Amino acid sequence: MKLPLTSIKQYVKCNLNLESVLNILSTKVGEVEGYTDLSKMYEGIYVAQILSKEEHPNADKLGVYKINIGQPEDIQVVAGDKTLNVGDKVAYIKPGYVVPYTYGTAKSTKIKAVNMRGITSNGMLCSERELNIGPNHTEVLVLDSQARVGMSFAQYYELNDIVIDIENKALTNRGDLFGILGLAREISAAQNIAFVSPSWYRKEVVDIDIKKEKLPITVVNNASNLCPRYMCVSMDNISIIDSPVWLKSLLIKSNIKPINNIVDITNYLSILTGQPLHAFDYDKLVSKDINGKGDAHITVRTAQEGEKIFTLDGNTIQLHANNLVIADSTNPIAIAGVIGGMDTQIDINTKRIIIESANFNRFSIRKTSMELGIFTEAVTRYTKGQHPYFCLPILLQAISLIQEYAKGTVASNIIDIYPEPLLQKSISLSISKLNIHLGTNLGKEEIKKILTNLEYQISGEDVEYLTLLPPIFRTDIYIPEDIYEDIGRIYGYENILPKLPYRELSATKENKEIKLKSRIRSILSNSGCNELDTYSFTSKDGIYSSNQDPNLAYHIKNSLSPDLEFMRTSILLSHLEKAKINILKNISPFCIYEFNIPHQKGYMDNFQLPKEDWHLCLLFCSKENIINGSSFYQVMRYLEKVLHTLGINSLSYDLISDSSELDLPIWIKNIIPSFNSNQAALIKYVKDGKTTILGVIGNIDEKVKNSYKLPVFTGAFEINLDEILPLVSNNSGSLHKSKYPSITQDICFTLLNSTKYIDLKQSVLKVINTKERFGSIECVDIYQKDNNTKNITLRVSVEHNEKTLTDQEFEKIKEKIEEKTKTFK
Amino acid sequence: MINDLDSLKSEILKDMDSLSYIEIKQKYLSKTGLLTSMFKGIKDISLEKKLEYGKELNKLKKDLEEKIKEKEIDIKDINLERKIDPTAPFDINTPKDKRPHILDLIGSAHPLMQELEKILDIFQRMGFDILESKQIDDDFHMFESLNFPKGHPARDMYDTFWSDEDFVLPAHTSTMQNRALRRFGPPPIRVVLPGRCFRNEATDASHDHTFYQIEGIYVDEGISMGHMQAVIKEYLEQYLQKDLEIKMQPAYFPFTEPDVELVISCPFCDKVGCSTCGNKGWIELMGCGMIHPNVLTAGGIDPQIYTGFAWGVGLDRLTAIQRGITDIRKLRDGDINFLRQF
Repeated sequence: MKLPLTSIKQYVKCNLNLESVLNILSTKVGEVEGYTDLSKMYEGIYVAQILSKEEHPNADKLGVYKINIGQPEDIQVVAGDKTLNVGDKVAYIKPGYVVPYTYGTAKSTKIKAVNMRGITSNGMLCSERELNIGPNHTEVLVLDSQARVGMSFAQYYELNDIVIDIENKALTNRGDLFGILGLAREISAAQNIAFVSPSWYRKEVVDIDIKKEKLPITVVNNASNLCPRYMCVSMDNISIIDSPVWLKSLLIKSNIKPINNIVDITNYLSILTGQPLHAFDYDKLVSKDINGKGDAHITVRTAQEGEKIFTLDGNTIQLHANNLVIADSTNPIAIAGVIGGMDTQIDINTKRIIIESANFNRFSIRKTSMELGIFTEAVTRYTKGQHPYFCLPILLQAISLIQEYAKGTVASNIIDIYPEPLLQKSISLSISKLNIHLGTNLGKEEIKKILTNLEYQISGEDVEYLTLLPPIFRTDIYIPEDIYEDIGRIYGYENILPKLPYRELSATKENKEIKLKSRIRSILSNSGCNELDTYSFTSKDGIYSSNQDPNLAYHIKNSLSPDLEFMRTSILLSHLEKAKINILKNISPFCIYEFNIPHQKGYMDNFQLPKEDWHLCLLFCSKENIINGSSFYQVMRYLEKVLHTLGINSLSYDLISDSSELDLPIWIKNIIPSFNSNQAALIKYVKDGKTTILGVIGNIDEKVKNSYKLPVFTGAFEINLDEILPLVSNNSGSLHKSKYPSITQDICFTLLNSTKYIDLKQSVLKVINTKERFGSIECVDIYQKDNNTKNITLRVSVEHNEKTLTDQEFEKIKEKIEEKTKTFK
Repeated sequence: MINDLDSLKSEILKDMDSLSYIEIKQKYLSKTGLLTSMFKGIKDISLEKKLEYGKELNKLKKDLEEKIKEKEIDIKDINLERKIDPTAPFDINTPKDKRPHILDLIGSAHPLMQELEKILDIFQRMGFDILESKQIDDDFHMFESLNFPKGHPARDMYDTFWSDEDFVLPAHTSTMQNRALRRFGPPPIRVVLPGRCFRNEATDASHDHTFYQIEGIYVDEGISMGHMQAVIKEYLEQYLQKDLEIKMQPAYFPFTEPDVELVISCPFCDKVGCSTCGNKGWIELMGCGMIHPNVLTAGGIDPQIYTGFAWGVGLDRLTAIQRGITDIRKLRDGDINFLRQF
């Protein structure tokens, strides 16, 4: 919302400088985005008069002009417009100054004295667009003959002003602040000065005497739920001319281009009050009404699906059934509250008009605007909330201005369809509750003063309560808390003293998942791994490349780009992508990890929302031949480092290609294809006969590695922290340790290739661990001789609880081991 | 010259263990490879030595090519349809020094997570519970329960992503307010709600479509805006390790009333003006306000008895400012060299 400083001075009865206005706005009203000093924007531009005109000897399209700006010396200027006449007044930019249209932009253009085909041009004569005051950019703007030569253009056009820009978002619920009067009222109240609205603003009855209806209008409102009030009037004898400078100037400051007196007057009242108006050409409306009866007929109705309208911005719009339109007997002539139609546009030949002042449902306007992608000043104002009360006074003021500036005369009754007048409801305000809410100690009189300055009416009071009627222009006040805000900000938030609340000394609940993530984060970052935070979004290609199922991924309907079109089904696929980027940068080896939430369609929680489990993904990648064998074992080291530290030890691994698990959860099924099934496993936790699947680990599938250009040695795991969490034990029991020395010996086993290491391990452990003794093993070597057999060398240590073991006793243990492992050969 | 050959031989021997076959090929046998350039050097050798030198060189090349082939087979073999034993601690036939082990690399926790942990720690010390936010939610939690009825124009303030099924990707962590009120009620309720949020907006050095936010709510009898100011100030001073001035400026959010934008004195220049605060001396840090009675009611809390405040602060910008990161998109581009600095 643009607010010119001179307008504040016009409506607020006190002396305010820029700084105090900015301060009031930002501390009591809403965020100020910035301000523009127009006198700087128009610096170096003067009213000039043309003294002589000559043809350019070397260019057909250029004219050579001698001008004067009230100084002894005349100035020679070359212009691309040959239609100017001697005596015309024009706007001239001196060399060294910036073209206003480009002011403050990246393409800021500074005028220089230049040679144009052999003739020097000392400056430039400006078009409307170059002056940033209108659309015309082909002709030099000719000023009124009254303009004083040598005057600065800004002074002549009343643009010596500072325009403050207030963030619209901060005013989203304040339709009244989308009018200059509303902002002036706030500034006034902030200084403890009662604001006096102009008398026309509060008129409640029609005070115009209509003698004879020359141009009658009939209006039917078939959508009163979406159009609470519809007013209009026809006017005759209109002469379309340029608006007076003061009016143009105010529009320019509000970033609205002046068009002609009628359109400008409707725009002017809208920026002054927030209430949009629209003007139709009466004759066009009547003549283009294919089923009309020769008079003006207006219907407010919802559109028929597919119905079309040619709008003022030059587009043909196909309407939807719920869009509210203003129509003649048959066809739409405007999209209600959004944009007018080209067919009834006011133009230079318009003689008779209809002015519309209506109120539309803000939700409906928003929906239509979003659906059709049309965003106008009217949409902005209507969607912030306007009160139907103001349709009348503002229509009357429009009539009055049109009478004054376009010589119009009222030619019909003033039509007012307002079946259910909307009244403000009174609100009871508890003074003690107000003070608790704000943390203040305000007295009743102080509160009353603030509220009356904001035009609240006090209809009753006692010691504790005030009964208040909110001002009619406020569409955002429903409950006492809304009034607390008005009091708080006008009183000044800076006057509220910070005070810490007291609380009981109860301990807060521990968030176990956050603690778990924090512990794992510390383990992994201390093990040379780098934590990532990657986007939840991915592309269809990303899902395909990682060999996962795009049908499981949620699709975003309004994604930023096809690269960000799907929600990822695993964290792994983001890591494959990031691994590729780092490998391309020649970083290797590396180990990356991340905690995050992937989503799979069909995996739902109890509330029918996508179930959100936290996953940990880790990916190891090396171009160098640092570690031999399958990458499975390398990532297993990281996994076990994490899980063992958390006290989770009873892990087992089921090779994917041998696994007979059927009832796997979706998130597991989804990531399995990303792995090489002969070198990847389900991670299982088995305790008391109960098995939990924690995730998948292993070497990445060869095809997947290929599509991400990843080296052979790339392995990863993805585990579900929601499964891990219940298994975490904080008290790791101390191991039994005998005071007698242990015997350690390497034993080599020759086994069938198909024998699992874990079976050997468990057999051996069963033998060496008894009530009397404690034994442990370590794998020293696994050597595959041929296709049938392998040698596994175990370092076996045994100690006895009560004595030193003898070699003979150890030999016996070995024999027993030998016997127990015979079946593996 | 033979000397040169000897040193090359020993280098090859060394590299055979540490480099992959692709890298060895690149280093020795490519157009600019070491061995290739030795061949190119033959023309400068005196005639009598040329023969011997050439022989040596050819032999070296042949040996190298053979070794590369072996290495290639080695790797192919690993990746053929060979089934591993996933219960073993390491793969078959691996020499002791080539077995899996945790490498001595530079590890790091993500800077955002480091800051998040610090902040959560402060709030826990102040007596707040923690509940993490959702990444896919529904219209009720993101909007309706927060006093944004369907079709409300204030919804436009949040550029929200929607899935085909009309699930919503939260544009703010306030999406958790209703759940937090229900889970931690009856009051006193003190809870922080960290989480990932999404906004459908163009990205630049200071905006990303994905970001972290930390929501906080405090509900009890007699809670005021004065309490709100003090609690947020306490947290910020603990976090930034600095005394701050704070200002509240009017703002608008449908789920709070009154609603304000909290502005702090720039902790880097003490209001003098610097690049971080854009020479303003003040930094707009977060939106906050007194929880709207409709939101309390929707969360099962009686607004006649209890009042409360809520705030939402972005984590990315705070982290970027604290860590001197000039483009916040660096936080999520996964560049390990960048991350290893933290």
